[in-house]
Amino acid sequence: MKIVVAYKWAADPQEATVAADGQVDFSRAKSAVSDYDAVAITVARHLGDTHGADVVGLTVGGPEVATGLATKAALSRGLDALMVVADPALTAAGSTGTAQALATALAGVDDIAVLITGDSSVDVGAKLVPAVVGGLLGWPVLTEVTAVAIEPGALVVERAVSGGTEQLRIDGPAVLAVATDAATVKAPGMKDVLAAAKKPVQQLPADPVVADGTLRSTARLSGPARRGIQISTDDPAAAAAELVSALRADGVLIGGQQ
Amino acid sequence: MSAEPDFDVIVVGAGVAGCITAYQLAGRGLSVALIDRGETPGAKNLSGGVLYTHPLQQVFPDFLQTAPIERRISRNQICFLNQDSSVAIDYRDARLDRDGTAVSVLRGRLDPWLAERCEDAGVLVMPGVRVDSLLIEDGRVVGVVAGEDELRARVTVAADGVNSFLARDAGLRPAPQPHQLAVGVKAVVQLPSDIIEARFGVDALEGAAIAVVGDCTRGVGGGGFIYTNQGSISVGVVLRLDDLTAKGLRSTEVFDGFLDHPYTERLLRGGELLEYGCHLVAEGGQAMVGELVHHGLVIVGDAAGMTINTGLTVRGMDLAAGAAIAAAVGVAEAIETGDVTAAGLAGYPKALAAGFVGQDLQTYARAPKFLENPRMYESYGPLLADALHQVFGLDGSARKPLRRVAMDALKGSGIGVGTIVKDAWQGARAL
Ligand SMILES: Cc1cc2nc3c(=O)[nH]c(=O)nc-3n(C[C@H](O)[C@H](O)[C@H](O)COP(=O)(O)OP(=O)(O)OC[C@H]3O[C@@H](n4cnc5c(N)ncnc54)[C@H](O)[C@@H]3O)c2cc1C
Repeated sequence: MKIVVAYKWAADPQEATVAADGQVDFSRAKSAVSDYDAVAITVARHLGDTHGADVVGLTVGGPEVATGLATKAALSRGLDALMVVADPALTAAGSTGTAQALATALAGVDDIAVLITGDSSVDVGAKLVPAVVGGLLGWPVLTEVTAVAIEPGALVVERAVSGGTEQLRIDGPAVLAVATDAATVKAPGMKDVLAAAKKPVQQLPADPVVADGTLRSTARLSGPARRGIQISTDDPAAAAAELVSALRADGVLIGGQQ
Repeated sequence: MSAEPDFDVIVVGAGVAGCITAYQLAGRGLSVALIDRGETPGAKNLSGGVLYTHPLQQVFPDFLQTAPIERRISRNQICFLNQDSSVAIDYRDARLDRDGTAVSVLRGRLDPWLAERCEDAGVLVMPGVRVDSLLIEDGRVVGVVAGEDELRARVTVAADGVNSFLARDAGLRPAPQPHQLAVGVKAVVQLPSDIIEARFGVDALEGAAIAVVGDCTRGVGGGGFIYTNQGSISVGVVLRLDDLTAKGLRSTEVFDGFLDHPYTERLLRGGELLEYGCHLVAEGGQAMVGELVHHGLVIVGDAAGMTINTGLTVRGMDLAAGAAIAAAVGVAEAIETGDVTAAGLAGYPKALAAGFVGQDLQTYARAPKFLENPRMYESYGPLLADALHQVFGLDGSARKPLRRVAMDALKGSGIGVGTIVKDAWQGARAL
């Protein structure tokens, strides 16, 4: 029985720069295992330990996802093995192309109990890939998953819904996108990295990448317009009151206590 | 030894010193781990700027072709900066460009490249791991401790930078004295390549390095620098810590003053701030180089205090590389003979003394003392400008012969001829 975790080797948005005209520049940002995918790996590791299952990572992307630095970073988070599809054509793949490549790789793996993914990627954040993969494989897809257990032939899944949690039972494999707080991620230690260097990494060939149609942005990204509110701090008490009312007017502050 | 070592060698710190030591030892067939606290190597390293390439070319013969070099420095300027004037010496040489003698680098790019070379050579690179302490048994260093994990090695290499808490906490190095430390404040400012080339008068791929003395530090011992990268400019100040404290100034305040100075502002105008940071610089020169070997441990690069600040050039990266080459020789020898005691590792200090690092540290041994001389930062800049003003500041008043000009400027400056001669002599001896 295998538990597969799909993760993204993604540029860290904290290192992106935003120019004055709103353009986001990721060119100087370094890559890492996408934060929420680290949560997915942690959930999968617990699940694997509980049920004695192998936890296999799967990533698709440009050539950089197959470097020793990238594969070790993922493996040291507790995966038993790794499958990598690295191809220059995947560097700029969109949700459809990425999901297609993931689904193709998964089709070649037997005995998958579940595919676990993160909530969304830190750099794009579209929350689409798990759903498209599920659709391509014909598996059910659940998001906001907070806990998973495996029973013979079935998964028992807890997920957050507005106002509480629900528990669901699914027969057969499924795609589960875990909530961002489904597990506490621990930074890998030296022994983890050492073990990672000895784990198997399987490089899979890439099929021709499916293009996501032609997407062209036709207008500049426009954020909420700044209205040029200026508050003088000469009188701190008055400034605070003014700030509060400005925030209230914008709907940032809500509730009683004027 | 109480347990089988996990590696022949563990190197702590994936800066220039650590990477090159690890690379060379792996090349000799040893098993090597290279640990750095940054998520990616170099992530936390303040990009110094100008790298003298010869030791890197020795280790990587294709360094100039394959490494992430910003520009080949073919133009060097020394600028005495005063509040309303500046006097510069401009040195340009096609030989510098041809030989790639010095290049500008950004550590955020260079360090990952070095770590990748290490990976290719078979080094196990461990980023994102902060080593807490050395693992010491019976007075011997047998590995490192990080969090709950211990890793053991025959020899541990401390390449953990200027603070080297590893060696210090283990009582193997004294804490540096304030007068041996300087604080560097640096920013990287983005500008289009063609603007950089026009402002600094260089061709594509060529670069300029400006060493600034005087008003840029508000009289604090130290200096400023401006280096051109491909699409950005590195600008910063290096300030002597004791002098900074004595003058009651904050390093960022001095740095901001330098950025706002019309001289600097003109060069950086319209640029976008990309990166900003502070870092300590070991300025003590040879006096600060501590003991380099202990049982099971060698110390390289900034961790061992190997920096030379002549006032005009800050050198640390090339010395770190040179020390790494020497350390690799000593460590490999020790492991081969099975003697990792301080005596067994003595090949390292021996190779170091024989190479350019040992010789240059010796040559510049007096530089730190000379640079403590306040006239370097306060008096000579205005003196030069006053003399030149007599020559170029034609205003209808009768000119004086140049000899008189010099003497008058001198009188105005309040420095005696004897003092100048003494300073010049000391400068010549120190630099
Ligand atoms: C403002 C400024 C300007 C400079 N300009 C120049 C210049 O123009 N030219 C030049 O040659 N030199 C310059 N230098 C000096 C140069 O930067 C250093 O001499 C050089 O970086 C030393 O290399 P190193 O490998 O010894 O140490 P570092 O580059 O400091 O590397 C040490 C590494 O160890 C890691 N580390 C530290 N502690 C731990 C730990 N406990 N666990 C794990 N990892 C750890 C750090 O993350 C770091 O990657 C400048 C320095 C400053 C501050």
